[in-house]
Amino acid sequence: MTEAGSAATRVLDVAGLSARYGHIEALHPTDVRVEDRELVAILGPNGAGKSTLMRAIMGLVENAGTVRFRGRPLPRRAPEACAADGVVLVPEGRGIFGPMSVAENLELGAYLSGSKAEFERRQERVFSLFPRLKERLSQVAGSLSGGEQQMLAIGRALMSDPKILLLDEPSLGLAPRVVEEILGSLSALNREGLPILLVEQKAPLALKIAQRAYLLSVGRVIAEIDPRKVSSYDEIAHYYLS
Amino acid sequence: MDLSYLPQIALSGIGIGCIYGLIGIGFCVIYNASGIVNFAQGAFVMLGGMITHTMLHRYGVPMIASAAIAIAAVSLAGIVIERVVVRPLWNRNATMFVMILATLAAQIVIERSTLIVAGDQPRTLPAFTDLPPMMLGGLAVSYQFLWIVAASLATVAALALFFKTTLVGKAMRACAINREAAALQGIPVSRMLALSFALSAALGAIAGILITPTQYTAFNVGVPFAINGFIAAIVGGFGRPLGAFVGGIMLGLAQAIAIVVFGAGFKNVAALSVLLLFLFVRPSGIFGSAK
Repeated sequence: MTEAGSAATRVLDVAGLSARYGHIEALHPTDVRVEDRELVAILGPNGAGKSTLMRAIMGLVENAGTVRFRGRPLPRRAPEACAADGVVLVPEGRGIFGPMSVAENLELGAYLSGSKAEFERRQERVFSLFPRLKERLSQVAGSLSGGEQQMLAIGRALMSDPKILLLDEPSLGLAPRVVEEILGSLSALNREGLPILLVEQKAPLALKIAQRAYLLSVGRVIAEIDPRKVSSYDEIAHYYLS
Repeated sequence: MDLSYLPQIALSGIGIGCIYGLIGIGFCVIYNASGIVNFAQGAFVMLGGMITHTMLHRYGVPMIASAAIAIAAVSLAGIVIERVVVRPLWNRNATMFVMILATLAAQIVIERSTLIVAGDQPRTLPAFTDLPPMMLGGLAVSYQFLWIVAASLATVAALALFFKTTLVGKAMRACAINREAAALQGIPVSRMLALSFALSAALGAIAGILITPTQYTAFNVGVPFAINGFIAAIVGGFGRPLGAFVGGIMLGLAQAIAIVVFGAGFKNVAALSVLLLFLFVRPSGIFGSAK
């Protein structure tokens, strides 16, 4: 299954993607792929380049290389166009519109959706995944708890009906119980067929729901691992020590 | 010092204050969308009055239609400035300072072009309602004053409604809060920037059309209006449209009172004193927290 994945089933194909901040190359040429219906985790310590990889895929930072989405190249410096193509990132720190209401945040998530009926359908999907957002609709988004804000960030992304969902450390700053809840809902979304690329520092949690994982260190992929074959986390630690 | 004129002067202060407020809101709308302080704001005010005058007197277009044409034309000028001056610098990741200087250059280019095309003769517009002022107690209330206040309030209300209820208005607010997150949701951030220039330009044009019958307009009236609108925005806490409107009225009143108490020469002294006072004591504006 891991080596399978022809061009037809490949959702995201990142080839030789590098990124720089000024003169510093924060991401060396990197290859990452996500197959259809797959949940792939990007693991690594702080400063490994995980966020930079996500930002480079979306074209938020200066980058070189190619990113193909279902065979078609994605524009390299236009996050709006990536979102319009169905590649949607929930950024690190959530990026919710704090002074606006929960309802407005969700409405803006569906900025590109045309019809009212489609909007309702998407909103129902978000409410069934995160019922708490429905209760909080008129509340100011910035007044939500951290976990609820993360739910809102994911819910807002889902409102744009993504064809692949990218998430940058959704567990950041959340209590363990809330993290499990969030990752559980991501797993549920994935079982419905949504491909997901998940950046996570908490490797054990991510490996529970991922079908495949890349290990990043100092701006490079140092290993690709199959969570089912990882018997202990010492094995992962081993990659970083060797 | 004769204070019996004070209520009358205060009234005219409120009138001009509404104008400063509209210009101040124009500063806020662009600032929120981009972080740029657009010093071409005064050019929009000047163009609003000049184009209306040209339509009315040279082409004989009725007043309302002349005003509508002027607002549309100035909005277009706003989009042109965004496309031609701001966008190329933005795409090259120019610093804020460079972009702000570029808008100042645009202001000068528009001002000088107007001088070449239209000459240096001041022009004025007829009052919208040509009737003698109403007498309320000892107070003479001109119809143009009522037009200014009513039209300003209507404009502010329409703008508030636009930002609160329409999807595009909400998207513009989202860009102001977090441009990157907005882009990640597929909101066309650069189109929102162009739209903010069009909106600001329209606000400037409306201000210019409303005030011209009480004063005059000429190629060089833009800069003083821009400075007062800028002070209004600072007083309101830069980036808060309603604050800018209240700030404009406060500034208009402060100027009016300074003129009565200290003499006409103190109008600008009062304005700049208000600016300095707020910059020192309350840099986040009347509605912001004290620092």
